Amino acid sequence: MDSLGKARQLGQRLASGGEGEIFALRGRADVIVKWYYPEVLEKRGELLHRKVEAMRELRDSQTTQDVCWPLIRVFDHQHRWIGFAMYRAQGVKMGCLAHTLLYARHFPNLDRRQIVGYLLRYIEIVQQLHRAGICIGDYNLNNVFCVPRSDSVTLIDCDSYQLRVGGTFYPCPVGSPDMTPKEHQGKAFRDIVRTPRSEAFSLAIVLFKCLMLGRHPYDIVGGGDPVRNLRRGNFAYGRGQRSVPQGDWYALWQALPNEVQEHFITTFIDGADNPGQRTTLSQWHEALTAYREQLESGECRRELIVASGKVGGRAQSVR
Amino acid sequence: MATYRLNRDSDLIDNPSPRCACMLVLDTSASMFGEPMRELNAGVQSFIAAIQEDDMAACSVELGVITAGGHVTEQLPFTTAMNISQCRQFTASGMTPLGEAMELALDRLDARTAAYRQAGVAYYQPWLVVISDGVPTDAWERVAARSRALAQQRKTVVIPVGVEEADLEALSAFSSRPAKRLDGLKFREFFQWLSASMSRVSASASTTEQVRLPPTDSWDSI
Repeated sequence: MDSLGKARQLGQRLASGGEGEIFALRGRADVIVKWYYPEVLEKRGELLHRKVEAMRELRDSQTTQDVCWPLIRVFDHQHRWIGFAMYRAQGVKMGCLAHTLLYARHFPNLDRRQIVGYLLRYIEIVQQLHRAGICIGDYNLNNVFCVPRSDSVTLIDCDSYQLRVGGTFYPCPVGSPDMTPKEHQGKAFRDIVRTPRSEAFSLAIVLFKCLMLGRHPYDIVGGGDPVRNLRRGNFAYGRGQRSVPQGDWYALWQALPNEVQEHFITTFIDGADNPGQRTTLSQWHEALTAYREQLESGECRRELIVASGKVGGRAQSVR
Repeated sequence: MATYRLNRDSDLIDNPSPRCACMLVLDTSASMFGEPMRELNAGVQSFIAAIQEDDMAACSVELGVITAGGHVTEQLPFTTAMNISQCRQFTASGMTPLGEAMELALDRLDARTAAYRQAGVAYYQPWLVVISDGVPTDAWERVAARSRALAQQRKTVVIPVGVEEADLEALSAFSSRPAKRLDGLKFREFFQWLSASMSRVSASASTTEQVRLPPTDSWDSI
């Protein structure tokens, strides 16, 4: 039922995640419903409800357009709050773009200019949220939707965002260590206060994974898991290129302009320990804008395929 | 006939997805003959099909299959799901050398995770699923302790499943979690759950944290 008590019928279940399930809404192809699991509602339904209400207060035309913001309360037949309705994001998960073997299937004719275009748009949306005092917290490429053959980007799963409304602080209670800076490792996510510096670190990992077609910056040969490498600032590219994973990854890295490389090196080596050293969102925006100009003028290569023709080229031949 | 593609080493080089190794150890002894074997085969087929439908899981999940029926056979060396073209049907015969099968499974998992580290490929906690309808007919206590230790250290997720008259106590010795009994022959429901779990693991951005798994009530009996 919607907030006016009008009964609505749910359609097909579209996805199920850790906290709840997403359903289509019959008769409205552009709207979807998030329905929290009963056990989640039982445990912290009240807090979730308050947070989603606070988010509804914060909405403006921009957040509802670029972010799948909670718009309408949803109740069960006993008038208990069970979730919310929002607009449905168009496009394909960024996780399918940032992948050597998947991008060709989902993003035909993808080139570097398009990737940089999506990333610039993505940075702009995050900057817009930051201006409203909102932090993403749980960075995940599967929560970013990109529309093939356009530069349209939409963020989903935003009920986890960190925000402050009317003096109340709502933490981002979820996250993943692989995307979390060192100063926040080993703590419960609900106890962390995300900052522009912590956000800049996680965002840099998203940028790296897209420009490097799926490689995590802290994947290294013979090292520990990415989280251990992250805690140590063990970034294989750039200074000395030690322990770069086998394959054409270093060639992909070399295709990036020096300025972009320098931002990654500073953020992932010096910035691992020192949040003040991390490239800020506006610096990233500036560097990627310059890169896009270089791609458009032909100064940098647009093709994803690198010298040996393996990475990128292979994708065509796999299923 | 086996029609697997060779387990290409280039896969660890070209595919940047973090891996989730999933080893199935299947009891294919004579007592599984008939309906149970048919259902088990159908379950494995549906598992592979479901994983292949999910892009992220197809790039992440590496499946291995070892059977224990008369003797121990490595039916499928670890292969990324997207590269499995067809799966052979297993047949039931002989005793249940489950101890030897588990020993081989643990050795293969060790070797695979070492290969991941060497290639700089991140990986989720590997999964080891063991399904049996009886009791191991060889020495199994030592390998059970080895398997259980890995589960306790959270180095491997070990899922023991008992079918019909299986000895749940013996199966439970392989893991830190108690073995579950399959409700009737709900192999398909079990493998649906397994593929949903694999999808959830491979969708997670985290290689070090536990993932919340779907409920098991579609296939286990209380």
